[in-house]
Amino acid sequence: MSDEELAKDLGLISALAVGIGTMVGAGIFVLPGVAAAEAGPAVVLSFLIGGCIAMVNAFSVSELGTAMPKAGGAYYYINRGLGPLFGSISGMGDWMGLAFASAFYCIGFGGYLTTLLSGVVVPLPVVGTVDLLPSIVLGPLVLSDIQMGALLAGIVFVGVNYIGAKETGGVQTAIVTLLLGILTIFAIVGFFSFDWGTVTADGLTPEGTTAILPGTALVFVSYLGYAKIATIGEELKNPGRNLPIAIIGSVAIVMVIYSILVGLMVGIIPYDSISESTPMSDVAEIIFEGNLGVIGVTSITLAALLATASSANASILASARINFAMGRDKIVTDWLNEIHPTFATPYRSIALTGLMILFFIAALGSDLEVLAKAASVLHLVVYALINVALVVFREADVPEYDPDFTVPFYPITPILGFGLSLGLIYFMDTIEIALGLSFVVGAIVWYGVYARDKTDREGALSNYILSRSDELPDAAVSAANVASPSGESQYKVVVPVSNPRTESDLLSLASVFAKANDGIVQAVHIVEVPDQTPLSEGSEHMRQIDTESQQLMERVRESTDTMDVPVDVRTIVSHRAFEEVFDVARREKADKVVMGWGPGRPWSAGRAERPLDELAHDLPCDFLVFHDRGLETDRVLVPTAGGPDSDLSAEVARYLRDQLGSEITLLYAVDGDDEAAAGERFLTEWGAEHGLEDAAIRIDTSGDVEGAIEGAAREHSLIIMGATERGLLSRLVRGSIAYDVVHDVECSVLMAERPTSRSVRERLFGLRRDE
Amino acid sequence: MTDSTYRTVLVPIASDEDAAVTGDAVSSRFDEATIIAVYVVEKAGGAPDTAGVEQREEFARGLFETFERHFRDGNATIRNRIAYGTNVAKTLLEVAADEDAEAIVFVPRGESRWRQLLTGDVARKLLNQTDRPVLILPRETDE
Repeated sequence: MSDEELAKDLGLISALAVGIGTMVGAGIFVLPGVAAAEAGPAVVLSFLIGGCIAMVNAFSVSELGTAMPKAGGAYYYINRGLGPLFGSISGMGDWMGLAFASAFYCIGFGGYLTTLLSGVVVPLPVVGTVDLLPSIVLGPLVLSDIQMGALLAGIVFVGVNYIGAKETGGVQTAIVTLLLGILTIFAIVGFFSFDWGTVTADGLTPEGTTAILPGTALVFVSYLGYAKIATIGEELKNPGRNLPIAIIGSVAIVMVIYSILVGLMVGIIPYDSISESTPMSDVAEIIFEGNLGVIGVTSITLAALLATASSANASILASARINFAMGRDKIVTDWLNEIHPTFATPYRSIALTGLMILFFIAALGSDLEVLAKAASVLHLVVYALINVALVVFREADVPEYDPDFTVPFYPITPILGFGLSLGLIYFMDTIEIALGLSFVVGAIVWYGVYARDKTDREGALSNYILSRSDELPDAAVSAANVASPSGESQYKVVVPVSNPRTESDLLSLASVFAKANDGIVQAVHIVEVPDQTPLSEGSEHMRQIDTESQQLMERVRESTDTMDVPVDVRTIVSHRAFEEVFDVARREKADKVVMGWGPGRPWSAGRAERPLDELAHDLPCDFLVFHDRGLETDRVLVPTAGGPDSDLSAEVARYLRDQLGSEITLLYAVDGDDEAAAGERFLTEWGAEHGLEDAAIRIDTSGDVEGAIEGAAREHSLIIMGATERGLLSRLVRGSIAYDVVHDVECSVLMAERPTSRSVRERLFGLRRDE
Repeated sequence: MTDSTYRTVLVPIASDEDAAVTGDAVSSRFDEATIIAVYVVEKAGGAPDTAGVEQREEFARGLFETFERHFRDGNATIRNRIAYGTNVAKTLLEVAADEDAEAIVFVPRGESRWRQLLTGDVARKLLNQTDRPVLILPRETDE
C-alpha cells in the first residue's frame, strides 16, 4: 500500500459509521421525551422537518467537502470562501457548538448511567452509605446525580482523547452495527406494543400545529453529526465519492430511524408521559415486559450509553480538528495545537474543549433544552455561512474550486439551506439565541482584537470584491477592506514555469530566497494555449491540461532540493503567458518573481499584447531573471556600480552566501590604474553597506565593463547583475538587451530588477489603474 | 567514534526532545552513511484519529528540523520520511525493509512504566519483532 492509501484509511463504511454514530446518540436516546411533551405525537413531523433541513445543508457540505477534503470542515470552507472574519465566526461557532453538543451528549449519558446505577450505594466509614452518583450542593450550584454522571463521563471522554487511547477501525463500526441491531430489535418488538389509540388519544397535535417547528428547533441537535464527516475529510479514501455518500447517506439513515422509533414511542407511551431523561429505557420496560425483560432494558440502556459516548467522542475529536485548521490560519495561537510528545495528541486543544464541556455540564446541565438548542443555534449559523460560501465559490470563479459532487438545483439548494438554517433559529428561545449570538459576537471581537493582525488568509469573496473594485459599489469594497486581514503576509517567491521538466534550477533558486525569509515558493505552471482555445472553466481539455501539469510539477517538486521550504504548485492556462507572469505576481502579492529566460519559454518569444512599457516599467515586485546554464552557486560574481538595482543584487548574493555558503566576489570597473584605489574604496564601502564585508574584491582597470565581466566570469559559476537602468525586462522582451555579455559568458546569469520607487508608491496607493 | 560498517540506518523519532537527543547521539557516529529519520503517523485503521493526519505531518516536519539542527558535522546524508501505519513498531520494520536499512537506531526515551503502558511501549515491541540489528545509543551527556 502506498503512504497515501495508509494515510487515508477511512472507507465508506467507516465514514458512515462516524456520521450515524455521532447522530443517533442524541436524537433517539435523549430527546424524544422532551420533544414529545412539546409537540405532541406530531413530534415525528418535527424530526422529519429537522431531517429535511439537515439534508439540504448536507448537499452543500458535500459539494464543499469534495472540493476541499481538508481537516476542519465547515471552518475551512468558510474561511477560504468568505475570509477570516467569517472564518473566525464559523470556527468559534463550530467549536462552541460542539462543546455544547458534547455537554448535551454527556448529560444524556449521565441520565442513562443514573438509571443503571440507581440504588447502588457505596458504604463509607463515618458517613455511612452514599449514592454512587450523589447530588451535590456547592453554594448556589446544585449538581444533580445526572450532572454528576455527566461530569464523570465528560472527564473520561476527554481523558481518553487526551491520552489518545487507541481506537481501532473495527470498534467504531462494530459499535454502530450493534446499535443499529439493538434498535432494529427494539423497533420490531415495539411494533407489537404499538397502539394507534395512544397516538390519537388527544389528537395528533394536542399542543397545536404551531408547536411542530419549535419541536424541530429542539430536536435539530439530533442531526449535528453529518458535518463531522467533513472535518475528517482529509482522512477519507476517495473523498470525491465517499464523502457525499457518507454525509447524505447518514442523514437519510438517521432520519428514517428517528421517524420509525419516535413514531413507535408515541404509540406505546402517551406523548406527555415519556421520560424526559431516559425515554428509551422507559419504552423498553414496556415493550420487553414479559418477553426479554431485564435483558432488553439493560441492552437498551447500554446501547444508549454507547451511543451518547460515541457522539461525545466524535465531537471532541472534531473540535480538535477545527482548532488545528484555525491555528494553521493563525486565527488561534499555535500553542493550542501543540502535539503531545508522548501521546501524539493535540492535548491542549482537547483539554481546553474538555474544560468548556465540563463547565457547560455544571452550569447549564440542569436544562437539557438549553444545551441542545445552543448547540443547534451555533451550528445553524455555521450552516447558513456554508451555503453563502458555496455560492461565493461558484460565482467568484475560483480556479482551484473543482468539486466532484455538485449540489442539485443550484442556486436554489444553497439559498434554501441558508434560509432554512436561519429560519429555524427563529424558533429557538431567547436565551439560546442570546447564548449562541454572544459567541458569534465574541468571535468577531476576537477577530478584530487578535486574529486580524495575525492571519493573512483572504477569502475568495474579498478577492472577488477587491479585484472588481471599479464595478462594485464603494460600500462593498470598503467593507471588504475593513474586514481584510492585516497580518504580516508570508514572504512569497513566485516562479512562473513554462516547462516543468527543465525548471528545477529555478525552483531551487527560489527556495533559497524563500528559505532566507521563512517564506514559501509558489510555482505557477503557465500553459499558453492558442487564442482559438477557449479558457472555459472545467472543460475536458482544461481539466486534462491541469491534471498533466499537476503531475509534472509534482515530479519536479520531488526531484528538486527545496530546502524544506513549502512549495505550492498551481496551473494557469492563458493566451498570453508574458502578461500572465505579471498578473500572477500581482495577484499573489509576490515579494519576488524568479523566472527563466531563453528558448522554449513562451514569454521569451515576447508576444505581449499590452504595451510593453506599461508592463515592464511597472513591476509589481522584485524580478529576477535567470539565464540558465546550470545552477552552480559556489563562486558568485556581483558586478556593481551602485544604485538601487545593485541593492537587489547584494540582497540575492547575501541569501546565496548565507543559505548555500557561496563565495562572493564583487567586481567594479574603472578607467585606468590611477582610479584603482578609489574603486577599491568604493567597493569596500559598498560591500560593508550591503552586508557583504566578507566578499572578495576585484577591480578591473581596463575601462571596458563588458570585457571586465566576461573576463571575471571565467572564474565564476554565476553572475548576478543588476539592471543599471529602468526597463531591463522590456528590453529583454524586445530582444534589444544591451548586455551582450549575457550571451557571451559561459556561466549562468541572474539579472535583477527592482521596481522603481514611483511604481512602489503607486502600488501602495492603488493609483496604477487607467494610466 | 564512527561506525562505518553501516551504509543506511533508520532513526525513528517521536517527539521534539527525542529528535534533539537522538540528533546529538547519532552525530558523527555514522560516517558516510545515509541516515533516514522517520516519524510514524499512527493510524486508527478506519476510525477517526485523535490528531489529524495533516497536523501530525506538520509536527513531523518540525521534528525533522530539530533533528537536523542537532545533527553535527560528519559526512552522513540525512533523509526524512513520514510513514503511516496502525502499529508503530511494525511500520518501522516495514520502512526499514523498504529502505534497505542495515540497522534501526534509537536512544531510549526514559519513559516511566506508566507512560509505556499508555502508549504501548514501541521500543519493546520493536526489540521483540525486529528482523535486523537494533542499535541503542546512550544519551550524549558531555555537552
